[in-house]
Amino acid sequence: MEILSHDILIIGGGLAGLRAAIEAKKAGRDVAILSKVHPLRSHSVAAQGGINAALGNALTPIKDTWENHAFDTIKGSDYLADQEAVEVMCREGIERVIEMEQWGTLFSRTEDGKMAQRPFGGAGFPRAAYAADRTGHNLLHTLYEQTIRLLIPVYEEWYALSLIVEEGECVGILALNFFEGTIIPIRAKAVILATGGYGRIYLRSTNAVINTGSGCFLAYMAGVPLEDMEFVQFHPTTLYGTNILITEGARGEGGYLVNANGERFMERYAPRLMELGPRDIVSRGTQTEIDQGRGFEGGYVHLDLRHLGGEKIIDRLPGIHQISLDFAGVDPILDPIPIQPAQHYSMGGIPTNVDGETPLAGLFAAGECACVSVHGANRLGGNSLLETLVFGARAGKKAVEKVETEKKIPRKEVFEEGLRTFQSQLEELFERKGEEPAFSIRDELKAMMTSHAGIFRTGSGLLAAKEEIRELKRRFLKIVPKQRGLAFNNEFIQYRELEGMLHLAEVIIEGALAREESRGSHYRVDYPDRDDVHWFHHTMAFKTAEGVKLDYKRVSITSYLPKERVY
Amino acid sequence: MLKLRRAGKVQNPRAMKSPLLTLIIKRFHRGKTPQEWFETFQVEIRKGMNLLEALFRIQDEQDGTLSFRYSCRGAVCGSCAMRVNGKDVLACRTHVEDLLDKPTLIEPLPHFPVIRDLIVDLSTFFDHYRKIEPYLQGKLISSQEEYRMEEENRKEIDLYVNCILCGICFGTCPAFEMDREFLGPAILAKAFRFLVDPRDIRNEEILEAVNNQQGVWGCKTVFNCVRVCPKQVSPTRGIVKMRGKILRVRLSSLVSRRHQQSN
Repeated sequence: MEILSHDILIIGGGLAGLRAAIEAKKAGRDVAILSKVHPLRSHSVAAQGGINAALGNALTPIKDTWENHAFDTIKGSDYLADQEAVEVMCREGIERVIEMEQWGTLFSRTEDGKMAQRPFGGAGFPRAAYAADRTGHNLLHTLYEQTIRLLIPVYEEWYALSLIVEEGECVGILALNFFEGTIIPIRAKAVILATGGYGRIYLRSTNAVINTGSGCFLAYMAGVPLEDMEFVQFHPTTLYGTNILITEGARGEGGYLVNANGERFMERYAPRLMELGPRDIVSRGTQTEIDQGRGFEGGYVHLDLRHLGGEKIIDRLPGIHQISLDFAGVDPILDPIPIQPAQHYSMGGIPTNVDGETPLAGLFAAGECACVSVHGANRLGGNSLLETLVFGARAGKKAVEKVETEKKIPRKEVFEEGLRTFQSQLEELFERKGEEPAFSIRDELKAMMTSHAGIFRTGSGLLAAKEEIRELKRRFLKIVPKQRGLAFNNEFIQYRELEGMLHLAEVIIEGALAREESRGSHYRVDYPDRDDVHWFHHTMAFKTAEGVKLDYKRVSITSYLPKERVY
Repeated sequence: MLKLRRAGKVQNPRAMKSPLLTLIIKRFHRGKTPQEWFETFQVEIRKGMNLLEALFRIQDEQDGTLSFRYSCRGAVCGSCAMRVNGKDVLACRTHVEDLLDKPTLIEPLPHFPVIRDLIVDLSTFFDHYRKIEPYLQGKLISSQEEYRMEEENRKEIDLYVNCILCGICFGTCPAFEMDREFLGPAILAKAFRFLVDPRDIRNEEILEAVNNQQGVWGCKTVFNCVRVCPKQVSPTRGIVKMRGKILRVRLSSLVSRRHQQSN
């Protein structure tokens, strides 16, 4: 049996994964990245509007500080974020963003040549540094360029199948070389999960097709709980039809949200900040307009940029201009963009401390798949890119420390056992009888999640969803991939990913059903208020033989006690 | 739920004028005999559907073995480059409504070895990318502050930074077709991006690296790459500008040599 070996193995080649790899490589460690797509195809590339850091480059009466950034983030999180972690992110973020500029990211500029910053939702200052509206593209290409400079190897188009755990410690993974169809154990003294979100369990999502939550599932299967999974962000402005993201930066630059009656409806929901309220509030407002019949036929409203003028649109929002033309046939200079809310981001994920360590020794997580928690119940726009850099770097650094003190060499047998277990499961799968097509289960799951675990939730809807998940899981056992062998076996991959999607959906539903309050993105129509007496804590979901078991963890507070959120 | 029908069981889509898309897909599976074949699929379309969605429908409901790359479905990741009716495009950015007139031929992106069906081996592309050292080499400054840059400079670089490295321009490039060592449009555009970046200390090094037949002098200046680029990058413009810079350097060194000789 061939075993590959590295000091540090990173699963996922988006911003968090690449940033972790760079940190580890610079410390002289043997680090490798494994990704199911070429790193440049990672979903980070699609981020648009900006990355927050209190650089203080915008002309404002008072200079922005990282403390202001921290407060906005905590308030935005509906006080569920861990305040110590938020402080780390906002303080260190400044250096991480400047570092990206120095590595070559082409940030837009102020008149005096500094990085320009634009207003973003829920922020008291223009704080989002941006590269036109292609900030993710620019950051990802910059980090990838650095991995080229540092000669960091990448297992491209490989899949992580499972974590190998020996005596309570993660010692590597089982990997699938997709083109060869071979299953190869990879030993690592530290494994960092940086696999992004799970948006594709929803029918309407801004996420790339590849975002199925595989890292969260790997951790969950290995006994790691998942934190705050019921907090799912819905982005208010996604292109009607395809749900491709239309950046918050469009509103940051002055765009209006307008209903079918021609009203700027955010006046009803966030009279002071209007379109630049935090995402949970703007999404609910937008969905309410649609639900109450003030949207357009088909279920959308307008994002109107026309008053900004062609020059500003082409200069600051060229990507949005092109996306609207390419995917909706609308020129935003001449016509409003049809938009509707859709799933966008996962606030929850694999629990970590500020160094990316998870409850499982040897296993780290960073980026969207992790829950530090810096976003709490609702993430502010511009903070996810920041999180990937700050906590990617910190996870990489801590993994290096772990590798330097690690003396233990895991037994070869544990990898052989892992491989045997996997192969027997595989044989079982191919021996199965049944004709259930995976795609129909997947499509039903997506529709069900969007209708029952979406922007507005009810106890009865979530109970129905819980039942439906059980049924889908039963039907899942009747899927039989027609192709044998694992090389280019799309059906097998879809099967594996669907298994993960069903589990994650179940965790979201259970967490949402139990949480009888409304906080941030989690809105219960039957419990419309926040309840700090009973629910001021994080949800921890464990996998057990009987299903999901929920437990709770306290929220860390440094400076700010929960207050009512008014915008 | 969309209904799908296999080829042969339906009437000619043009005759019945129903929204049926006919795709003739070039398949490739090493080890099969024959390893290359054409296969016809029909997909019932819905309004606004793109080609990538149609391929997913086929993979889901008709043939799970059909292989192609995908990720963002929003024309920013560069995964789904392929040849459609002889034109190199991103599948996600191609509307199927524009393909209903006659059967549509889908082939892998040309000039790269095929791995499986529509998946090609882009190693050459990324080898060339690495050759130009595609990372900023700036002068050392304090870690506390950014480089200053004029917005006008940024706009000039931005035209090239928008490249998503999808490889489409290589598929359509006659110079790359003739010589696989030709650095290629996207890579030369990348070299130009660093050349014009005021933060990058390299100047002669970059010009030196592209001053050969595999570099800027291999370009046929037919502007194919400019026409097909899904992100409106203009590699030829960068190539021509680099040629100009090289010629100016040559000319000035010639002048200074003459000047020295005459002294």
